[in-house]
Amino acid sequence: MTAETQTLVRPMVSVEGVDKWFGQNQVLFDIDLQIAEGETVCLIGPSGSGKSTLLRCINHLEEINTGRIRVGDDLIGYREKRGRLHELKEHEACHQRVRVGMVFQQFNLFPHMTALENIAFAPIKILRVPKAEAISRARTLLERVGLAAKADFYPSQLSGGQQQRVAIARAVAMRPTVLLFDEPTSALDPELVGEVLEVMKDLVRTANMTIVVVTHEMGFAREVADRVVFMADGRLVEQGEPAQVLDSPQNARTREFLSAVIR
Amino acid sequence: MTEGTVVTETGSTSGRVNLKTRSLLTRENKLNVVPVRHWGRGVLAVVSVIVLISVVLGLWTNPNIQWPIVGEFLFSPAILKGLGTTLEITAVSMVFALVLAVVIAVMRISPSRIVSGFAAGYVFIFRGVPLIVLLIFVGNLGLFFQNFAIGIPFTDITFWSVPVKEVMTPFLASVIGLSLAGSGYMAEIVRGGLLSIGRGQHEAAKALGLNGARTLRYVVLPQALRVLLPPMGNEFISMLKASAIVSVIAGGDLLTVALGISGSNFRTIELLIVATIWYLLVITVLTIVQYFIEKRTAER
Ligand SMILES: Nc1ncnc2c1ncn2[C@@H]1O[C@H](COP(=O)(O)OP(=O)(O)O)[C@@H](O)[C@H]1O
Ligand SMILES: [Mg+2]
Repeated sequence: MTAETQTLVRPMVSVEGVDKWFGQNQVLFDIDLQIAEGETVCLIGPSGSGKSTLLRCINHLEEINTGRIRVGDDLIGYREKRGRLHELKEHEACHQRVRVGMVFQQFNLFPHMTALENIAFAPIKILRVPKAEAISRARTLLERVGLAAKADFYPSQLSGGQQQRVAIARAVAMRPTVLLFDEPTSALDPELVGEVLEVMKDLVRTANMTIVVVTHEMGFAREVADRVVFMADGRLVEQGEPAQVLDSPQNARTREFLSAVIR
Repeated sequence: MTEGTVVTETGSTSGRVNLKTRSLLTRENKLNVVPVRHWGRGVLAVVSVIVLISVVLGLWTNPNIQWPIVGEFLFSPAILKGLGTTLEITAVSMVFALVLAVVIAVMRISPSRIVSGFAAGYVFIFRGVPLIVLLIFVGNLGLFFQNFAIGIPFTDITFWSVPVKEVMTPFLASVIGLSLAGSGYMAEIVRGGLLSIGRGQHEAAKALGLNGARTLRYVVLPQALRVLLPPMGNEFISMLKASAIVSVIAGGDLLTVALGISGSNFRTIELLIVATIWYLLVITVLTIVQYFIEKRTAER
């Protein structure tokens, strides 16, 4: 997606002047980031640079200290009334989160539910989708991530790669407009990374979703990202098209990071 | 095991054994090990058997215990009714205690200091007060509270009211006492179970749009209860045993009945044996049930 269309279309995700502190420790510094509808952004950077924190703020798993985050028309976590911010009630906050899906590094599947139940559960309970419909859709999703045969397996009976594919299906089943991935392949054995990346590539190609991926897989970023954003020490340092950022980085920090990760 | 270790191990017992072992080894080229003698174990085994035999004989041949009376009362209607009441009190108390425990445990981990403080106080009191004291308190509630009433607190407005003495049967008092005491312990167990569910589960639920209550109901509690099954089995057995204490307020349970009968025929030991046999039998059955439930949940 070019800079031109970004200015025309209202951004799907808009992070404006966000600071985030953990106690005395500031971890995000004046972050500004606009992501257009349907865009795929890969967020890269050294460990501890605040990538996860930024994603978690977008999903309101963390509170921000200054600035605004908008997803679509929602101001995340607050309602603005007469120049003041009012904290959202719990059900309103939940309503907002439904539109933003998240896939975690550690999968976090529900161990007491089968793969199928993991996927169908939230649509039934939260979206009030009729049970039969939710289950048949869950089966379709399982098929799409190549796990049709594993519907009745519990997470403990699945490999890490399979678990992560179920977790992706679980997030997609809620039909989010924005899908966040926090290092989805970092906890996997190397031989299982590929199958998860394939599922994600398929998603990027076919689903009409805005996708943000924190990743260390530079090949994946180069292949699917519309834009690569580099973060260091809680700041956005550099961003642009993958080829530009990955092949001819302008910033010294970016160059340093890339030479360290590309072995 | 190598030849070397065999020689050194047996060597420590006696030289004769050592030589014999070595010759056997060379002749048949096969390990023929004389095991180390465990004298302590042998002595304990002998003592155990002696103690067992003397206890059984002491009971069986004791002229002061009339076994026919034990047989006579073991299946008597009164005793069986008492057993039924014991089971009923235990089961009902267990259900109430568990529900209370979950509520208190959830309150205990509430971010509100007042809510969690209330729960902490509850646990402190009902875990701290001896069950027998609690039971006597509840049993005699009518002495210091006239009515149970539903109304607006701190006003004279009441919608419904009933005299305590009318409703506070020994059965109800027993159930209340056991439930309160049990819930104090169980709340701490349940809290441990709730805290054992990792942050990732909470976050995954939150990210799907579940609120706190739904996260608790669909994600945290089902997992926690699985962890809690074995300790809760133990609590159930403890409660069955504790239920004997309700005999102090004449709860109508097995022990109350047994003591009541012995009060008229003066065969105290025989009736205690009757009660003991039933308690042990029920606990045996419960232990077996618990074993199978645990085995099934462990398979998941
Ligand atoms: N819950 C938390 N409490 C305190 N500090 C935190 C917490 N989460 C993250 N941090 C700190 O914030 C910084 C950024 O962390 P994170 O966003 O996880 O980085 P990244 O995902 O880029 O590795 C780190 O210094 C980390 O120690
Ligand atoms: Mg991280």
